[in-house]
Amino acid sequence: MDSSQLLKGVLDLAVLAVLSERDGYGYDVVRRLRDAGLEDVGDASVYGTLRRLFKAGALNSYVVASDEGPHRKYYGLNDAGRDMLGSQAKTWNSFAATMASLLKEGHA
Amino acid sequence: MTTPDQYAQAVREALAGHPDREELLEDLDDHLAEIAAESDIPLEERLGSPAAYAEELAAAYGGRPEGTRRGRRLTAALTGLRAQPVYRSVAAFLPELRPGWWVLRGYALTMLLLSLAGEGRIVPQNPVDLLFVVLGVLASIWYGKRTKGRVLVGLAMALNVAAGIGVFAGFVEASSTRGGEDGGAIAFVSQRPANVLMVSSGTPGSSDIYNIKPYAKDGTPLNDVYLYDQDGQPITTSPGEHGFEVDTSCGAPVLNRYPLPLREITERPFDGQDRTAVPSPTPCPTATTPPVPPVSESPTPKASSTR
Repeated sequence: MDSSQLLKGVLDLAVLAVLSERDGYGYDVVRRLRDAGLEDVGDASVYGTLRRLFKAGALNSYVVASDEGPHRKYYGLNDAGRDMLGSQAKTWNSFAATMASLLKEGHA
Repeated sequence: MTTPDQYAQAVREALAGHPDREELLEDLDDHLAEIAAESDIPLEERLGSPAAYAEELAAAYGGRPEGTRRGRRLTAALTGLRAQPVYRSVAAFLPELRPGWWVLRGYALTMLLLSLAGEGRIVPQNPVDLLFVVLGVLASIWYGKRTKGRVLVGLAMALNVAAGIGVFAGFVEASSTRGGEDGGAIAFVSQRPANVLMVSSGTPGSSDIYNIKPYAKDGTPLNDVYLYDQDGQPITTSPGEHGFEVDTSCGAPVLNRYPLPLREITERPFDGQDRTAVPSPTPCPTATTPPVPPVSESPTPKASSTR
């Protein structure tokens, strides 16, 4: 099964989860998702997701100046983002449990 | 090797039709610079083509339906064209021409509207034209500086122009018909069939006008023209206030038949006998012009000609 298709459905949740640990800038979020095991995640998908979540009011953002490289725009969860994360995590857990149960029965 | 700036520009162009493009790509440049700084591997190798990147970005962001395969191929082809150095140099130069275009656009649209509202002309013919042109250019510059999008602006402008033509034409015509109120001059006279003229405004009774000389469009002087106002009331003047009287040698004069046969009063007699006549501007009418319908049946001035 192509995991990139699965990833599309849960990228919001994955990004929210990463940012709930600590704030991060675009490429930092990409790296942390890949480090967590989502190697196939696309840079453009993460960047687009961040911008959409920001537009939806789930994230706050601030720019940190850097002497060495370009300025970095950090994103972090606000209250709306935390609510969204809680709600989506609940949906995901329920869905995952259903799938796990289904697969378990299928094998039984 | 593609620089982050070039890559970002290509992505920007590939998303030209996206309604939230500026918002979506707000920090794309910094983001790509961050990626480029991390490794020497070219961006296109790591991220794919700018067109593919743009497509993935738009899909993740939402707000734009995914294009058809044909549309995607077209986008990819355009992106390839935009990567050419010649295209890039021309495209980089075009924004510098933008202020000039704003001025030209304002001028052209204003002259178009003025022409639609009156006589066709491509340069201002009078101070009023000039004023409108200046206002039009300023409005165009203001509009150009205000907007950032490109595609929707065209549509908005088309609609504005359409609305503007109607409003402007009405305004110019209205102002031309009202223009005579202060000075009492008759500003707008249009010829009707059968030598009937209608006068839209003016206050002849209290003005400097004591006679009216109608001319046809081709410059031919018109005689025995009856003038009525919008209510069917005869329009008359007061030649006596200006030292003239209506010549009665042809019989009782009709005071709203123009030009009036006037003669100068050189001396104010006590008995009305001692006067020196000057040539009348018009000979006696050779035929009796059928009287214009009575007041109760007004000469049906049409609204379009007397506004």
